[in-house]
Amino acid sequence: MSTIRIRSAAAFWLAVPAGTWMLAAVVVPTLLILWVSFWGGRAFSASSPLTFDNYIRFFSNASYLRLVGSTFLQAATLMAICGTLGYCIAYFLVCKVTNGRWRTALFLAFIIPFWTSTLIRAIAWVPFLGVNGVINQALMGMGLTSRPIEVFLYSMTGVTMAQVSLYTMLAAGPVVYMLASIPPALREAAMTLKAPPVTVFRRIVFPLTLPGVVIGQVLVFLNVMADFATVATIGGNKYALLGNLVLNFYEGSQLRFAAVAAVLLMGCMLAGVVLALRVVDIRKLGAR
Amino acid sequence: MLHWKTRSRLTGWVLGTVMGLFLLYQWLPMLVLGLLSFAGPTGGTTFPMNGVSLHWYRELWDASIMNDFKPPLLRSFMLALACSLTTVVLSVTAAQAVRGQFRGHNLFFYLLLLGIMAPGILVGFGFALMMRMLGIDPSWDTTAYITHVSWTLPFGFLTMLAVFNRFDPRLEEAALTLGASRLTTFRRITLPIVLPGVIGAGLFGFSLSYDEYPRSLFTTGADLTLPLAVMAQLDRQLTPELYAIGTTTTVFSFLAIGVFTFAFWALRRRVQPR
Repeated sequence: MSTIRIRSAAAFWLAVPAGTWMLAAVVVPTLLILWVSFWGGRAFSASSPLTFDNYIRFFSNASYLRLVGSTFLQAATLMAICGTLGYCIAYFLVCKVTNGRWRTALFLAFIIPFWTSTLIRAIAWVPFLGVNGVINQALMGMGLTSRPIEVFLYSMTGVTMAQVSLYTMLAAGPVVYMLASIPPALREAAMTLKAPPVTVFRRIVFPLTLPGVVIGQVLVFLNVMADFATVATIGGNKYALLGNLVLNFYEGSQLRFAAVAAVLLMGCMLAGVVLALRVVDIRKLGAR
Repeated sequence: MLHWKTRSRLTGWVLGTVMGLFLLYQWLPMLVLGLLSFAGPTGGTTFPMNGVSLHWYRELWDASIMNDFKPPLLRSFMLALACSLTTVVLSVTAAQAVRGQFRGHNLFFYLLLLGIMAPGILVGFGFALMMRMLGIDPSWDTTAYITHVSWTLPFGFLTMLAVFNRFDPRLEEAALTLGASRLTTFRRITLPIVLPGVIGAGLFGFSLSYDEYPRSLFTTGADLTLPLAVMAQLDRQLTPELYAIGTTTTVFSFLAIGVFTFAFWALRRRVQPR
């Protein structure tokens, strides 16, 4: 017995506002993109004939295909860097910091930037990366180079550097959660049975945190695939990923092509999520 | 071969160094941004700083019409507040509904999760297409509001689900057994206990909407919100004024988090006196 009767009409009606909102704001627009991507003709109207022409024209352009490839490459790079870095940080926070106060302080220092604007944090990298930027001045001050290096600002290196600082938290968070829920007795038992720490980690700790790793990787993947703002801010207009392509087509009023690029983006992301959901059950994570 | 205790300590040091370097990596750009916003009137956007002044903050305050950040700031604040309230109401009702396990509640769960999974650029673009078909002009307080809530609501919903997962239903049962109606029980027992979670949902609603860029980009029309105004200014010209607005809005975010955290903490203390 609780404040709501199981399978009652009241439960159903309580769900209707939120459900309708999500249908109208997420599901219908997404399906609309799919529909528009098949539109032929020139006018923006629902009576347009349906064709595959937009896709054929998109896929016959080699530079667009290269762009899809570099988007995947960027996502894979970030998944590797953020995954490794995030796991190290999560492991250190949960397993190596024994002092409760220190742990809280480090955790806050790690998580607070996440609550501020991603856009501002991306912009904050601009004075760092420029030709007269902090990094170059530090390198020259240490005598490592005599001339400023121009590869940082308006380059994918700079974009990657900024994205690592933006998304490592996404990879670390779920691992922190999974690590913290491992009962200490489990590791103690393994240690008592004379397993060396490496074996404990490999056979006990890592398998138990695997769902967290997978969720973290999915989050990084989704965010990098869809990130066009960081690329635009730091890459200037010289670089583009799939997201930028959607925006460029949209601003150029080429709505059909924007829709095709968006459908591709959607397809890639959906495949990633489905793959991950086969590995872990997200619903069970919140429960005790 | 080193003893395992030594090796374990060594691992700790290595990982600690990684963590320290990463924190530096994460915080240094923001601190530099803050520092450069206090540059003198002739200050550039990189080091070395030319003098120290509040020039760029004054510039921000009495700005021309072209780059006046005050109206966008107000719009973003109002929008975030509206999203926060909507998120609170809808996520509590939605989580309560899932507790009632109506037919199709599994589907409903995934429908809400879709709001987190679907990237802002797709939601924004699709919604803009939909509005164009319906012939509705986009505006920050109508279309942008709808897309923002579709982003903030799932976070609030997951927060409330996690709270209800740990909630002890015997407390409700006790009230119901004593003859209180379901509505009274919800209002007098359930709600006060889950209130810290409700505050958390509100915080998600506020800060996610306040910083939202991709959804706004497609659904905001002529009157810009703050992230859009910042981005537009970045496209025009990079001046320390941009750093000043960046610092201001970051401090503002911290203040908002502080207020919510304090409310959370105060409520926790009231609910669980120890």
